[in-house]
Amino acid sequence: MNVQNVIAGVVQVAGGVLGGPAIMGLIQHLKARMQGRRGPSILQPYRELARLWGKSGVMPEPHTVVYAVAPAVSAGGTLMALALLPVAGRAPDWGLGHDALVLVGLLALGRFAVTLAAWDTGGAFSLMSAARELMFSVFVEGLLLLVLLLLALPLQSTDLISMSHAASLSWVWLRPAHWAAALAFCLVILAETGRQPVDNPDTHLELTMVHEGPLLEYAGRDLAYLQWAAAARHWIVLVLACQLVIPHPGPFAAQLAVLAGGLIALSVALALCETVQAKMRVLRVPQLLGLGCALCLLGLASWFGGGGG
Amino acid sequence: MAVAEALAAAGLVAILAGAVGAAMGCSLRASLTPQSAGAALLGLAGLWVLVSGERVGAGFHSVLRPAFGIDPLSGFFLVLIAAVGAPAAVFARDALTDGAQGRSLALATGFFLLVLVGFVCARDPSTLLGLWELMTLVPAGAILVARQDREARHGVFVYLAITHIGGAGVWVAVLVLAGHGALGGHALGGGMAVFVACMSLLGFCTKAGLMPLHSWLPRAHPLAPAHISALMSGVMIKLALYGLVRVLFDWLAPPGLWVGIVLIATGWLSCLGGVLYALMQHDLKRLLAFHSIENVGIVALGLGASLVFRDVGESTWSAIAFAAALLHALNHALFKGLLFLGAGAFAKAVGGLELDRLGGLLRRMPWTGATFALGAIAISGLPPLNGFVSEWLTLQSLLHLGVGPHLGVSMVGALATAGLAASAALAVYCFVKVIGLVLLGLPRREECAEAREVPIGMRASMAFLAAACVLLGVLPGLLIPALASLGPEHATLGSSPGVNVPGTGSLPTLSITVVLTLLVALLARLAGVRRTAVSPTWICGQLTPAGLAWTSAGFTKPLRLVLGGLLRPRRDARVLASAGVTQAVAYRAEVPHLFDTLLYEPLSRRALRAAAVARRLQSGSLRAYLGYLLALLALLLALARLELLG
Repeated sequence: MNVQNVIAGVVQVAGGVLGGPAIMGLIQHLKARMQGRRGPSILQPYRELARLWGKSGVMPEPHTVVYAVAPAVSAGGTLMALALLPVAGRAPDWGLGHDALVLVGLLALGRFAVTLAAWDTGGAFSLMSAARELMFSVFVEGLLLLVLLLLALPLQSTDLISMSHAASLSWVWLRPAHWAAALAFCLVILAETGRQPVDNPDTHLELTMVHEGPLLEYAGRDLAYLQWAAAARHWIVLVLACQLVIPHPGPFAAQLAVLAGGLIALSVALALCETVQAKMRVLRVPQLLGLGCALCLLGLASWFGGGGG
Repeated sequence: MAVAEALAAAGLVAILAGAVGAAMGCSLRASLTPQSAGAALLGLAGLWVLVSGERVGAGFHSVLRPAFGIDPLSGFFLVLIAAVGAPAAVFARDALTDGAQGRSLALATGFFLLVLVGFVCARDPSTLLGLWELMTLVPAGAILVARQDREARHGVFVYLAITHIGGAGVWVAVLVLAGHGALGGHALGGGMAVFVACMSLLGFCTKAGLMPLHSWLPRAHPLAPAHISALMSGVMIKLALYGLVRVLFDWLAPPGLWVGIVLIATGWLSCLGGVLYALMQHDLKRLLAFHSIENVGIVALGLGASLVFRDVGESTWSAIAFAAALLHALNHALFKGLLFLGAGAFAKAVGGLELDRLGGLLRRMPWTGATFALGAIAISGLPPLNGFVSEWLTLQSLLHLGVGPHLGVSMVGALATAGLAASAALAVYCFVKVIGLVLLGLPRREECAEAREVPIGMRASMAFLAAACVLLGVLPGLLIPALASLGPEHATLGSSPGVNVPGTGSLPTLSITVVLTLLVALLARLAGVRRTAVSPTWICGQLTPAGLAWTSAGFTKPLRLVLGGLLRPRRDARVLASAGVTQAVAYRAEVPHLFDTLLYEPLSRRALRAAAVARRLQSGSLRAYLGYLLALLALLLALARLELLG
């Protein structure tokens, strides 16, 4: 294990655990600025998590063990997903492999646990949101797999580290397939992070919530886990975008710099998108994602139509 | 060699003894315990053959002389039969009521097990086809013993009608193959191979319940007693795929790319269609039956991918896709068996299985509830259980079909990948709904609030299946190399506890399970040390009456709206008002099964109309019949004269 792998490991874990809330804070801050408000500090999510950590939990009546362990499952699955992510084209071997589809499975596990907890409380608002979230997931997972397929084309592997190497080859940018994948990945980012126009993370109006709905009953450390998991999902998806889509040639240090720059740029883009874009009707989202699927298939066709390696 | 033979013989004797015992009027315990032990012994024999690679008994031959034997592929399917059959028999011991009906069902169970075992061990066309027919008839008999109402009789009629019409394809395919000496001889090639491939696809896909030939499955499976449903859904439809594997991989020379593509297309349709309709069901057993269609679809995707890989010359991936298909068949047998047995346990405890009228059963029946939930997690394809492993392997196979070098194949792979991913997400949706409505929340009915845990035998059989789901989730690598070597290309994969396949980031199941469990336990412990307050669920400060609890239809509404054009849900709301005051609201909503309304119903209407026309020939007049005979004779003579008759 060399020094670069150690650094990558530190960025993976520390960045994943601490970086997610920072990205959330940055987006909130920028968004407020763009809307002409002063807005909360970038550190606000940390303060919230610290406050929640000190509070006692609430258990709705009735509940079972499902409600009690759902936050731990969600956070645990997300924590493990962090270990699969490549950072600057490399990652230490934790013995967990680095497969893209395992990462997708772990994210699905978190969604499963949280939506199941909504059934446990039986609250109508949580269930309404849970149903919407699961409905989105059907289309998001189909799209995500197509994007991963396109990104696996150059080196024919779903190993996240090889996929990250593929993106560091400069010639992939000459391929329309990569551009199609990049555009479609933008849709995946919006949907997986629950940002506008798919979902509005700021709203607590019960009838429009999607991701926040099943979290309604939670308090204390359980809520802290769930909020952290939502933040970490931002980190995971944006790091994936930087590693698999954005080109990052050069030595390790340069790749790290590209990663940091990419994360900031994507956060700015998300804040901008949230500012100019209104939330769309829930039933329109699948059409948007279907557009992404069509784009991916076109990209795949272009790979063979002379655009391939 | 002697070991496997002795185990198989002992197993057969034990099942036979149990069945005879049931016929002679022994108690359920005395007749079903030997059946379970016998199934287990046969499974061990199969495992022995699978691991050692030795063959037992006769090999395949095309002569109509009854013969039986076990080769590694049969051995694998024996393991599959035993994995469901042994716990199902133990479950039936406590689930059935002692009496004439119970004993008849015990007899049917033993007979069904023997037929299933016989079908995978049959080594000549006569036994193969005979047992194929019995495999259809025995569960039909069991259903009719268990239920005599009109719905059951109609369901059985549809089941027999469709499987027999479709099953004709199997007869034609096997007899043509036997006629050319392809069973155990040279693989059949040429134009005849195309015909045989079509016929076998038609026949076996009907019995496997692949869309659009599935219409019997959601009608027949829910009718049977729980343990027979488990055997039908878990085992019987897999044996149809076993037959398909024999024909397409062993007895036919590669007939071309199209067979693989057709299998992928039907698998794709079954995957998405099966789970979509499962999601819209309101009855637990019917939902599980529809969900079986999704899972045979996944197996068909794997088999199709394997055929396509073989044709484009990717031998390693062909073997991996084949292993993925077989592993998913076994996994589905385990968790679908578990879920059907769980449904049987709930039915015994609370009566009906209408999803909107259950609820809160996890607290009342912790053992049944926990194992049922585990089965539901496994079938949803979530890490770290066995469903994830086989779906991961299948997805990887399809994805690598997608990155392959040919545009057409690549498009098929991409569409199949997206379809399977979407159907996995739909399965999560479906089983979140099932767990939520059955196990969680408040009881929605008096019986659910007072449900009692079922007897130990039923719980033990479910616990066994749940343990098998965990084991195959943690250590699938013990089985995968053996399965890959059964495939067409005999590729060897490195053995490890997890799954290590080239071109992927590998799936080290053991460490993933351990790390995930530790992380979750640690986080739960950290959260749990705080004091927690108990409070009612917050719904704008109101109390919700039980009648306003979220329903199955409500939970699936977003998807029904989004896919409205595809599913065409119907709703009918009538407001009865007198003097401007609403007295009552009659509301009905349903998602019609479009394959029935658009395909099967017009088809059966036309068939009946044609039959009515044909009936005119049967005038009852002797002169007309003599005229027919004379006309036939004249026709035959004319044909003979023209030398058109052989």
